[in-house]
Amino acid sequence: MSRVELLTPEGLRVDGRRPAELRKITSTTAVLSQADGSAYLEHGNTKVLAAVYGPREARHRTLVVHDRAIINVEFNIAPFSTGERRRRGKNDKRLLEMASFIKQSFEPVVITTLYPRSQVDIYLQVIQQDGGVLQACINAATMALIDAGVAMTDYVCACTAGWVEREAAIDLNHIEESSDTSEVTIAMLPKSGKVTLAQMESRLHVDKLEALFTLAGEGCKQIHQVLDRTIRNRAEELAQKLAV
Amino acid sequence: MASTTDSLAASPAFTFSASTFQKLHPTEYFRKFISQGVRPDGRLLDSFRPTTVHYGVITTANGSAMVRIGGTTVVCGIKAEVAEPKLDSPDQGYLVPNVDLSPICSSAFRPGSPSEQAQVVSEAIHRVLKESKVLDLKDLCIEEAKAVWALWIDVVCVSYDGNIYDAALISVMAALLNVRIRKPTYDEGIVKVPGGEAINDENSFKLNLTRIPLSTSFVLFDTDLTLLADPNFAEESITQGQISVTIDEHGRLCRISKVGAASTSQSLLKQCIERAKIRSHELRSIMNQQ
Repeated sequence: MSRVELLTPEGLRVDGRRPAELRKITSTTAVLSQADGSAYLEHGNTKVLAAVYGPREARHRTLVVHDRAIINVEFNIAPFSTGERRRRGKNDKRLLEMASFIKQSFEPVVITTLYPRSQVDIYLQVIQQDGGVLQACINAATMALIDAGVAMTDYVCACTAGWVEREAAIDLNHIEESSDTSEVTIAMLPKSGKVTLAQMESRLHVDKLEALFTLAGEGCKQIHQVLDRTIRNRAEELAQKLAV
Repeated sequence: MASTTDSLAASPAFTFSASTFQKLHPTEYFRKFISQGVRPDGRLLDSFRPTTVHYGVITTANGSAMVRIGGTTVVCGIKAEVAEPKLDSPDQGYLVPNVDLSPICSSAFRPGSPSEQAQVVSEAIHRVLKESKVLDLKDLCIEEAKAVWALWIDVVCVSYDGNIYDAALISVMAALLNVRIRKPTYDEGIVKVPGGEAINDENSFKLNLTRIPLSTSFVLFDTDLTLLADPNFAEESITQGQISVTIDEHGRLCRISKVGAASTSQSLLKQCIERAKIRSHELRSIMNQQ
């Protein structure tokens, strides 16, 4: 099998980035009028739309928890989002797993005790994917939750890092992801530096993990700055509207 | 001051703000507007919401388009895949349209299996594409009885505010116009689709569409059957019936559907068709702008 050169002799990656360079992130909040909060996030060519409905009355009475809100994450991948068209059923194990990861990374951050007996729905729609779907989804969900005004202790920022040939690289794209690289996704609370999610599914030498963790942590901080700027701009815009 | 207290006393209890009134008596609220010849969102009865079409928004798809009609936004992506032809039509490719109304686009939709509405719209689009012979399916043949192109036409609703059928059909037609498929080679049972270099006129082909059907929808309101063009979500939920007229660029009808409890007269249907002709003309100029 012919392998793709992932790293040029000069140390540049397939898309011309340096190893510790993120792709361009564009984010917008309040994109949907129907939802209580929404966000659209582009991470390079990965495009994700997030909508938050709630806190609202829990749909099933059996699910109600009397002293806090439950978080529900639904995940939808557009069939045309990948290179190969593949229909993923609603009960696809992989999707359910991802949804559960996202749910669990937000549970400690959202102050659920403020909304007893209710439910917060986070709906995610992946429109186009080019690597790093989980990180993009988590970042988009954070933005949508903030836009919905759900109380949270901190942002949740996620970033991936992987070992591309001989170098630790950040924010892998689809080509790098799919050619046998080991990849770590971590979600971090930038203020405290705590990690709410760390996930790796391939082989990696223990000595190399440290480097990846630091790199992904740096990435999370950078992503936080980008997201925070969007949120602040939006808040200023709203404040100005209120003042008039 | 005294006079206000008096008038309050004269009509006790029943003074609501407009938004409370709307929630309690949506139909009556609506009727008050309609009797003045306008709708709550400021439109006239026969006017449409601003419509935009953008081509090629999804780079991973062979063809794509995003369509906005007011608050309704849909994205259509078409992927071409090499497939085995069906037994009864060995020299024809096939089209598989699907409309997804996921809970992200409105709180009216629940997670789970596709709703009835989503399936009805998917099937309606399928019928229009098939029965009106929008494209010659023989164009999608790679090698007779061996390999054909299957076009997976997926419409994802991003934001729902009524009139999904019109929006979905425009997006499907726009995406079909946008499709580019790399020219395949067939060699002893193996289909090769070259990849690599950028798509251009040399190494790819476009679809040859014989016609472009576009639809115009109306709802019927109240017992006097007032026609409201391009209904939004609130209007759809309180009306008695819906009429959709699908028409191609030469003014030929491709599909008419009238559903709901209200019964219509022929003259009303004629009125719809006349209006649909004008609207589809406007839509065509919007689609040609880009």
